[in-house]
Amino acid sequence: MRRWVLTWIAPTSLALVIVSAGVAQQDPIKIGVIAPLSGPVAASGNYVRMGAEIARDWINARGGVHGRRVALLVEDNKSDPKEAAGAAEKLIARDQVPVLMGAWGSSMTLAAMPKLEEYGVPMVVETSSAASITKRGNPWVFRISPPSEMEALGLEKYLGALGIRQADFMAVNTDWGRGAVTAFGDMLRRHNAGIGAVEFMDQAATDMNAQLTKIRGAGGDTLFLTTSVEQITLVLKQAQELRVARRIITTGGSSSPSQLVKQAGAAAEDSYHIVFFMPWFPEAMPDPNLAKAFVDEWTRRGNPFEGLTEGFRGHDGIATIAEAIRIASRAEPQAIREALWKVSLMGLNGPIKFEKDGPAGRESGQSRPSIFLVQIKGGKAALPAFLRK
Amino acid sequence: MEAFLQHLLNGLLLGGTYALLGIGLTLIFGLMNVVNFAHGEFYTLGAYLTFAAASLLRVNFVLAIAVAILGGSLLGALCERVLLRPLRGESIDTTMLVMIGLWIATQNGELLAWGGVAKSIPHPFPTAPIVIGPVSVAPLRLFVLAAVLVLIAGSHVLIHRTRLGVAMRATFQDRETAALMGIDVGGIHTLTFAFGSGLAAAAGALLGPIFLVYPSMGDLAALKAFSVVILGGLGNFAGATLGGVILGIAEELGAGYVSSGYRDAVGFVIIILVLLVRPSGLFARAGRVG
Amino acid sequence: MQHGVARRSAIVLLAGLLLTTPFWLPNPYHLHILIMAGIFSILALSLNLLLGYTGLLSLGHAAFFGIGAYTSALLALKAEWPFVAGFVAAVMLAGGSGYAIGRLALRLRGAYFVLVTISFAGVASLVSVNWMELTNGPLGLPGIPAAEVAGFVFRTKRAVYYLVLAVAGLAYLVCRRLVRSRMGRAFVALRENEALAASVGVDGARHLGLATVISAGMAGGAGSLYAHYTRFVSPEVFLFSYTVTMVIMVVAGGKGTLAGPIVGAVIFTILPEALREATSWQWQMLLYGVLLILTLLFLPRGIVPALTAWRDRR
Repeated sequence: MRRWVLTWIAPTSLALVIVSAGVAQQDPIKIGVIAPLSGPVAASGNYVRMGAEIARDWINARGGVHGRRVALLVEDNKSDPKEAAGAAEKLIARDQVPVLMGAWGSSMTLAAMPKLEEYGVPMVVETSSAASITKRGNPWVFRISPPSEMEALGLEKYLGALGIRQADFMAVNTDWGRGAVTAFGDMLRRHNAGIGAVEFMDQAATDMNAQLTKIRGAGGDTLFLTTSVEQITLVLKQAQELRVARRIITTGGSSSPSQLVKQAGAAAEDSYHIVFFMPWFPEAMPDPNLAKAFVDEWTRRGNPFEGLTEGFRGHDGIATIAEAIRIASRAEPQAIREALWKVSLMGLNGPIKFEKDGPAGRESGQSRPSIFLVQIKGGKAALPAFLRK
Repeated sequence: MEAFLQHLLNGLLLGGTYALLGIGLTLIFGLMNVVNFAHGEFYTLGAYLTFAAASLLRVNFVLAIAVAILGGSLLGALCERVLLRPLRGESIDTTMLVMIGLWIATQNGELLAWGGVAKSIPHPFPTAPIVIGPVSVAPLRLFVLAAVLVLIAGSHVLIHRTRLGVAMRATFQDRETAALMGIDVGGIHTLTFAFGSGLAAAAGALLGPIFLVYPSMGDLAALKAFSVVILGGLGNFAGATLGGVILGIAEELGAGYVSSGYRDAVGFVIIILVLLVRPSGLFARAGRVG
Repeated sequence: MQHGVARRSAIVLLAGLLLTTPFWLPNPYHLHILIMAGIFSILALSLNLLLGYTGLLSLGHAAFFGIGAYTSALLALKAEWPFVAGFVAAVMLAGGSGYAIGRLALRLRGAYFVLVTISFAGVASLVSVNWMELTNGPLGLPGIPAAEVAGFVFRTKRAVYYLVLAVAGLAYLVCRRLVRSRMGRAFVALRENEALAASVGVDGARHLGLATVISAGMAGGAGSLYAHYTRFVSPEVFLFSYTVTMVIMVVAGGKGTLAGPIVGAVIFTILPEALREATSWQWQMLLYGVLLILTLLFLPRGIVPALTAWRDRR
């Protein structure tokens, strides 16, 4: 008998007591944030968190939203989709947050999305670029980052200046990488550019020589590269070792040119990068004053400069949510969702305003972010020659 | 043809790095029978120590590598004394799980200590590749290949030609007899684990400058190390070396000529096939049991 | 006699506790944790059959879980099979792949078996990522319908809780029946001394093969439940971290005992969530690792055997 109590009931009930402990506070408006704070993409997730914290402090310094302070409840998704779904469940059901921002990677966002529908809580998606996120008919999703298709369209206007005749692709083997290959491939085909080698790499891979040797033999003039900044660093270094002479264009906005300059050195020279925020020349951003203030605040806090191209997402996401709560004038999920459709805001990236996307009647919100192209020249990020006046 | 030669060279260089990962583990896993999931963490530690010495303290590159190896060995000795010694005699699963705990704890400790941003280790070699006919290679990679050969040869001599090596092999073949012969069995355990960990740290120190240094870098390294050890046969240095090269070339050719998405599958399939044909690895001596 | 009554009342008490949980623990987040604990209990029970009773260290168990999840998801989405049929197919297909691994186990032991199982899971994972036409690759399979049995749809957390509880209970009974039968004793005999077992007429090939088939089939069933609960399957179900979690549950809970894997599953599902509450995110996994090490240093045989020994000493 004792044995039964000991082996079964005691540990179970003890564990349940631990979980049930702790009481949530009521006073400030709670915003849930899901980001990869540990695991392979921890650096990016932490930058987003830092940007979100700046937005929160700015809002609170201005007196909060309708006189109530804003509090961020940040949960780590450990760069793992299962954890992302668990974090969403925890934030919504346990902490009762009325709105979420997250979850960086597309697979993590996709895994968290069923929870939004289940509980009826809106989420602003700040980074993920898989097309499917807004095409699934989940009316609780509002994305401020561009899907790969939009990014490809953003590059379209520079095609003439770049003069791409045949492109090769190298991408991380996830929905993000595969989506980018499809989107940019379609755009290039419309302009009669050839598609050469299409190579994938595992998320954790460090040696990409095999793929690069193949690309070297494919004979294109441009290599489109879609992956995390860590793997971009490795690919650039290994491409230099293998003498893969190509124009390299990275997509996805997570390439952090400043970090590439630091870590890939000369191998990063001349490469092009699609970014959504240009901290090197805030005066060229749609709202120069806001951009300047953000860059200053970021540096004042001692956050690494190379994180700015990622960190701005956190700011824009939280600013969007705060604006929606202001319009809704109450912090309730349904009201915030309706208010998100009315948001019209100048973010760091540019104007944020949601349009309907996905199957009729169940549309998700998709903003039209600005897309910028920079080039690394002389160890610095610069506007490409054809954009300089 | 040009591409094939380059693939072959890439595979050889990659194989060298795999061999380096494998030789430390072949001692710990092969001789000591510890399924050491924390092996990759000693690799990570070696890389971070090299980074700290070379980049923060600005000591000489070769000295930085030595610092990393020393640090890895000392920490390995500590782990053996604190975590493994109390569990001697427990089943292989228990020690494996303790090493899993160590793996999780240290990886997250590194994230806490260093942050998630990848670091790159400065090194004195030129970045411009050496071009030989149709193929090219970075000088740093050649240095690493040479260092790998030296480490493997040195370890082989230590295990097979010295009194200490004899004591090690005796201890793990027959503990009781070894103890009766006056061998300090406990000390040998500590020393072997320290030596294996030092080799893992050496691998991190040498490969860190080629790749990048970040908290989860050890995961892939540990997986490759296990593959190499199994391919080569447990406790066999020459086998681990050949196993590493075979794995490296197979992956490279698989990615080059089959599909880059299935790159890592090539290694897995080779392991399954090899073990089907030769259940104790390619180069195992008879009578060695896992 | 006295002992029997006490034991029976303990069972009734425990059953009552488990059956009424959704009523005194209504928060869906807590129910979610318990549902995951239930699914992991099935996985841990299934791994324990190999690890605890036959001594085969399979580090590819996530493959069976993933195969079950994908089988069930694909049959529901592409062939519109009902849940029960998909569940049975998941169990059978996972069991079938377990049979193949079981054949290997006849030739390989110890470290070599470990690596073959890791490799098998690795290949399965890469197939799920790269075979776009079948699995939808890294995009995963969304929109899996909720489980449905005889017209009843398990849509709410409460309903899923009872479904998982029922399947976990069934898995427990299967395991108990198995290890207390002649066959279970044969497993243990093989684990302790294979040559001796063979000499008294235990057919090692048949028993090890059967153990892997049943174990893999159970893991496949857990995969099917998981797919129909989360309604979304992606290649991450094959991740090595799932296997690691299962091993932690079995060994720290107490391998080779019936209660161990379940106690381990419950504790090690709740622990990360409890750490989420108790500390900031930087410390969660660090503490998790440290707690795991401490558990094993103080209770090297696992939690349940330690509690049993403590009771016997008193």
